[in-house]
Amino acid sequence: MENRPVSKYTTSFGLSLALTSFLNALLVVVKEKSPAVQAGMKSLTGHHWVTHVAIVLVLFIAFGFLLAQFKRGQGLTLPVNRLINTILAGVVVAGGIIVGFYLVAD
Amino acid sequence: MSEIILMTHVFFGVACVIAAVWVFVDVLNVSEANGKRIQWVSRAAAVFMWLSLLAGGYWYVVFYPADKAIILKGPWPFAHAYFMETKEHLVILLLLLATYLPIAASNRLVANPDARRLVLWLAALIPLLGLLIEGHGAIIAMGVKVALLAKHIQP
Repeated sequence: MENRPVSKYTTSFGLSLALTSFLNALLVVVKEKSPAVQAGMKSLTGHHWVTHVAIVLVLFIAFGFLLAQFKRGQGLTLPVNRLINTILAGVVVAGGIIVGFYLVAD
Repeated sequence: MSEIILMTHVFFGVACVIAAVWVFVDVLNVSEANGKRIQWVSRAAAVFMWLSLLAGGYWYVVFYPADKAIILKGPWPFAHAYFMETKEHLVILLLLLATYLPIAASNRLVANPDARRLVLWLAALIPLLGLLIEGHGAIIAMGVKVALLAKHIQP
């Protein structure tokens, strides 16, 4: 199937979306399993969830702009099908980790 | 005040879902005529999601602890232990998807079928995840209700 390019920010923020979704789920497991981490997150903003959201958003924006600077500012190039698969994998795996963690582990 | 903030959260959550469905249908019928509208409605979906998160986040931090205490003493403690815990973290995925939607929709969709497919996937994921999260919210509300009912009918 032919793959037409999308803008560099579409690729970079798409990859950032997949990555930060996964990191979001990882942070859930870490803070729930480590009272020290959760207390540290709470001390930063007054509530662990507010800190959690802030960390994920900062990472999403940072990775999005960082990945757009690759290849001397041209950004990463990726077939759109692979970008879609990466985003789907990131969101589904992250969702599965969150649901599974509270269903089984916690 | 608490109820108004909570309903604002739900209202904008539903508005985000509706906007994403609108984008999905418009992208299926993309043309030179609706290209700009797709971009505007994509931005609206992101703005609605942010407003929903801000209202819901404020309510969660300020007012939810009282509801949580009621739920945990009632017959449906899982309404907090599973559904609220899951909801408050799944919603971050929804926020990322809704924020990314206008970035993906900024491509020239009428001439680029690959970009269209990307936007279609995003515009499909947002309502699916959004409805799942709305359902979680309903179960949390029921958790409060059954706890208060159980307390009320106890001899």
